[in-house]
Amino acid sequence: MQFKCNQTLPERAIHIALKGPGGTCQRGDGTNCFIASNVATTPGDMTERGCTYAGCRGVVGGPVKDAIQLTHGPIGCAFFSWGYRPHLAESDFHIKYTFVSDMNETNIVFGGEKKLLQSIIEANAEFPDAKAVFIYNTCSTALIGDDGRDVAKQAEAIIGKPVVFFECEGFRGVSQSMGHHVGNETIFRQLVGSVEPEGDFSRSINIIGDYNIKNDIRTFEYLFEALGLRIIARFTGNVSVDDLKIMHKAALNIVHCQRSATYIADMMKEKYSTPYINVTLWGIKNMAQALRDTAAFFGLEARAEEVIASEVARIQPHIDAYRQCLQGKRVFIYQGGPRVWHWIELLRELGMETETAATTFGHTDDYEKIFKQIADGALVIDNPNVPEIEEILTRRRPDLFISGNKERYVAYKLGVPFVNGHTYDTGPYAGFVGMVNFARDIDKALHAPVWNVLHQHARPAPADRRTAHGFEEVPG
Amino acid sequence: MTSFLTVQERAVAINPTRSCAPIGAMLANYGIHGAITINHGSQGCATYPRHQMARHFREPVEVATSSLTEKTTVYGGKQNLLAALKHIWERFHPTMIMICSTCLSETIGDDIPAIIDEFLNTYPDVTIPILSVKTPSYIGNHTTGFDNFLKEIALNLPDRRKKKGETNGKLNIIPGWVNPGDIRELKRILREMGLRGLWITDYEETLDGGYYNPRPHFPRGGTTVEELRNSSKSLATIALQRHIGGEAAHIYEQRYNVPAHVLTMPIGLKNTDAFVDTLIAITDHAIPETLEVERARLLDALVDTHMYTSGLRVAFYGDLDLLEGLVGLIAEMGMTPAYILTAADNRAWGERMVELTEELGVESEIILKGDLHELHKRIKQRPVDLLMGHSKGKFIAEAENIPLVRVGFPVEDRFGYHRRSIVGYNGAIALVDEVTNAIFERRATTVVSNTLIETGVEGPTDIPITLRNGAAHHP
Repeated sequence: MQFKCNQTLPERAIHIALKGPGGTCQRGDGTNCFIASNVATTPGDMTERGCTYAGCRGVVGGPVKDAIQLTHGPIGCAFFSWGYRPHLAESDFHIKYTFVSDMNETNIVFGGEKKLLQSIIEANAEFPDAKAVFIYNTCSTALIGDDGRDVAKQAEAIIGKPVVFFECEGFRGVSQSMGHHVGNETIFRQLVGSVEPEGDFSRSINIIGDYNIKNDIRTFEYLFEALGLRIIARFTGNVSVDDLKIMHKAALNIVHCQRSATYIADMMKEKYSTPYINVTLWGIKNMAQALRDTAAFFGLEARAEEVIASEVARIQPHIDAYRQCLQGKRVFIYQGGPRVWHWIELLRELGMETETAATTFGHTDDYEKIFKQIADGALVIDNPNVPEIEEILTRRRPDLFISGNKERYVAYKLGVPFVNGHTYDTGPYAGFVGMVNFARDIDKALHAPVWNVLHQHARPAPADRRTAHGFEEVPG
Repeated sequence: MTSFLTVQERAVAINPTRSCAPIGAMLANYGIHGAITINHGSQGCATYPRHQMARHFREPVEVATSSLTEKTTVYGGKQNLLAALKHIWERFHPTMIMICSTCLSETIGDDIPAIIDEFLNTYPDVTIPILSVKTPSYIGNHTTGFDNFLKEIALNLPDRRKKKGETNGKLNIIPGWVNPGDIRELKRILREMGLRGLWITDYEETLDGGYYNPRPHFPRGGTTVEELRNSSKSLATIALQRHIGGEAAHIYEQRYNVPAHVLTMPIGLKNTDAFVDTLIAITDHAIPETLEVERARLLDALVDTHMYTSGLRVAFYGDLDLLEGLVGLIAEMGMTPAYILTAADNRAWGERMVELTEELGVESEIILKGDLHELHKRIKQRPVDLLMGHSKGKFIAEAENIPLVRVGFPVEDRFGYHRRSIVGYNGAIALVDEVTNAIFERRATTVVSNTLIETGVEGPTDIPITLRNGAAHHP
């Protein structure tokens, strides 16, 4: 597909491809080279990408429920990353509170290390029950050369608990993806393995790369527990600092988000020889496969089949009913990364086909997984910008757009049904039971009576006297 | 009865009430038809504010970024900004481009005006205005970005060629950081008075737009660049927030000889009277019957509700101008503004608020450099009956079981607050109703002050009565 909006932006062609027959990649520049990804955004192209700080503070570090979430920088970074992402836990300290060293102009000129140290001490004094202090570095404090690592070390000696310093300044990397990497690496280096607990961990697992959006874990943790497995840590939804310290004891790592968290699984494999398996915890086939793969590792195959059979029996009638309503619908999925390929199969189980797929920060491995699963003729786009999204919605007219809150209102203004795949409309969407929620939300979005009202009654915008004809001259 | 001023001393900010400068400039630029913002910095500096605005306005919000990365921190962001300008110009043909800076571009020292000049030299066919606004996050707060943008507008856009006595017959109105619903109400007031406003700027429709098929290329509405060029010929400039647009109004006076009137945000009876009186003084128009009737209705609402609201202790927080306007209505409702908390470090404002609250006959603690954690601690020590402010106060409201009446920005956990108005007589009536109903909601049938329950006193016996001579009488 040639985008009209990209006529002046030829740089975008290598990020746009069709899946040709036999799984070939027909790229926008006329070659069969694979789609380009994880490279710097063309300036001014209206990207949807965020920054490294967002990936680290928002995605990986933020869900840790008993750490003080302290931004070392000016106020804005802390304000915007506070309280909106529903990475829930059994407690809500991590969502309700945000801390910031609040750099002002003087601090930028004379350095912010003293203020950071004082901030850590004060924050700890206000919330002595917190198990650690997480410090996220920002553009300005990195540029002025504050040695946050050293301050963290000093602070640790004073307050007597871990002070973890994340070098996640916003200008690093090309997207928030770099922030995930920094988050993984820092937590691994500073926390994992810092405590050696006694006990038998032979039947224990970690769930890596799930952030418990709208309580997703409630839809699958009980399934692993039904196999007789103990979950030590979740990385990082509903996790305590104490869990992170001992997560190296697990017998197996189960990696869900393979973009933001494979890093730590790899590091644990290297240092502690912990094996890991990649899983998808969305959709019937995938969830069942995840349980089977996990069970196979522990020799619990028979138990897994029992669990799967009883769960599928519970939801199958609902899924069948929804499939009747959703059959044949064409979907545009645009997510951060892996959810796109996690959901292609799930949508098929509901009778729908993904016709356009896009990610904000996917890497080559994400796109390989997309190309493997998606139907021939589908359009795949890397790091789409706002005009491209609008053009897809108007020219390809998908029946459904699954994306995040920023894109929601673009879809609505163009009359396209929308489901929030980032933070969910209702949720949770994972596991077997969550899939019923997902199907219900999709059905609601597609068949809401409002679309008939819009299509039958909407009118063109009335001419704006001022803007259509320029400045309105004052008579007399 | 004495109010007093405290300055929060903590180094760490815990649950801040404020965000940072670029979002203010982006918001104000949404009030210019067909204008596009380029944020010169990390991608997050554009994406975070977009997300925040989308959650408040429930509208598509589009902002470009120059996508600075590690390389640019070494070599400077010039090439990225030049590329961004080229792409935005060629792809959208906007009516204006505003470039706001960030911590990153300010700290590495990019000279944005020089980069703009270079761009214009390379592309001589670009005739639209390209403004640069300084908005590093480490100076001021979100309102600073809005205010700096307005100053740049006032300095750069109005036409300096003006014949003696030449006028467009309009009034420049700078509403400041308000909601689209507020601008709509202010426009109506001017219409009722038979006056024509030139809005600097006007996001009434761009950020509270309708559903049209087909969707217009740029959102409908907004002040046009041509109108802004013409704003030097207006009869007067009225800024409705001292700290957002006050200085811009003075620039109009000094540069273009357009008289400046800088008022308190028109919330409540007296503040709205001051606005209407100013309109009358400038134009000689009389107050129309409709406004007179609304004004009387506000007085009626105040008297109808006073038995429920008198003596209630209120804590409110946010931006200077909102607080200054709001305290007027709170006093008119007979409530005590127990805590007035702002993140700004503005002692002059604090001292003025001490005087103002004393004039209004109420007793307040005015907290500068404050955050919501500090407010929460105060409330735990001595409770209040009501909170007023943006959505982030909900954590205190939930923890202490106190109603929160949402005003200010952002309101992200409720629908349609961007459409509401709290200015003018009608806005005040709506707010009086909402406050009273919030109290009813909490107490179901009857209102008993939290404060009174805490002190174990039955009935409103410890509410000081202000005598006519200004002294307080404690029964």
